[in-house]
Amino acid sequence: MSVQEIGGSGKSGKERLQGYPGRKRKEHSERFQESLMQNLKYQEQDGREKAGSEGQRIDTVSMEKGRLVTGLGIRVNAVTRREAVQAAEVRHMSYEESDNIEIAVTEGYTLKGKLEGSQVYVEAKYDDGRLEAYRVDMERVPQQTQHRIERFAMETAEGMKSSETEEEREEND
Amino acid sequence: MEQEFARELRWNNLAAEYQTMLYRVAFANMHNRADAEDVVQEAFLRYMKDEKPIANKEHEKAWLIRTTIRICMDILKSSWRRRTVPLEESMPAASREVYLPYQIRDDRTLEAVLKLPVHYRNAIYLFYYEDYSIQEIAGALNEKEGTIKTRLRRGREEVKKILTEGRPENL
Repeated sequence: MSVQEIGGSGKSGKERLQGYPGRKRKEHSERFQESLMQNLKYQEQDGREKAGSEGQRIDTVSMEKGRLVTGLGIRVNAVTRREAVQAAEVRHMSYEESDNIEIAVTEGYTLKGKLEGSQVYVEAKYDDGRLEAYRVDMERVPQQTQHRIERFAMETAEGMKSSETEEEREEND
Repeated sequence: MEQEFARELRWNNLAAEYQTMLYRVAFANMHNRADAEDVVQEAFLRYMKDEKPIANKEHEKAWLIRTTIRICMDILKSSWRRRTVPLEESMPAASREVYLPYQIRDDRTLEAVLKLPVHYRNAIYLFYYEDYSIQEIAGALNEKEGTIKTRLRRGREEVKKILTEGRPENL
């Protein structure tokens, strides 16, 4: 008597052994996919709700206080600052090409800035050999900033604007 | 004749390209306009006499800076020089004679840099005022990059000391 005969299913034992886990795997993967899709939907909904409530909170705070000074405000400012100063590719700009230079021997760094439209390109060189470049969006820089790169960018932009107006005045005279 | 003309043109271009920068480097060491001009002339003469071909522009610049600093050191070490006392050029006015191609906000710091001991002075001057990288300074001064980083760090501390206390201890 063979195994096939005892089972009476008409399939060989090998076939049965292979078929069962396969079927189970298929069912399992279908279930998993379903639950994943459901989870994704929930997550999306949750995210939208959270964003909506945060937006409302921001509005409330800004309307009440006039400006964002609460804990939430600080977070918003931090985000704005991150957006104002973006890392950029180092161009190896020379002093002659720069609009503004800051040589800080006692602090161990040099800054070079160039006004390019509404942005300022800033290159920083440190005495440990690091060379970093940033692109500062002047429309996003807060007026009372204490951030070193932002302040330097502001000086560069203001310096260039005042020199432009001086040139215009001279031309008019 | 044509060769001579081409050679002369090359020297003229070389002088036009490097003479102001080399003058500043020489002045940072000599603190004296006449001496600085002599040093630059000597550096160019040595370059002309040196028949060995220089691989590229970077090497050429590094060679000229190295030679300029070496000539300064030779003059400063000479016994004649050590016996003389400069009359006309005073230290507080020294930074005004450097003629940097850009405006600096703080003359006092440059004065302090010019007062530094020579190994700190050249590294700091080239790094901050001539905008050279650590790698370029190492090439120009024939030193390791690590040595230049150390000199920059220690030189910075010396500058702070000069600015707060007056003169450096080892001068």
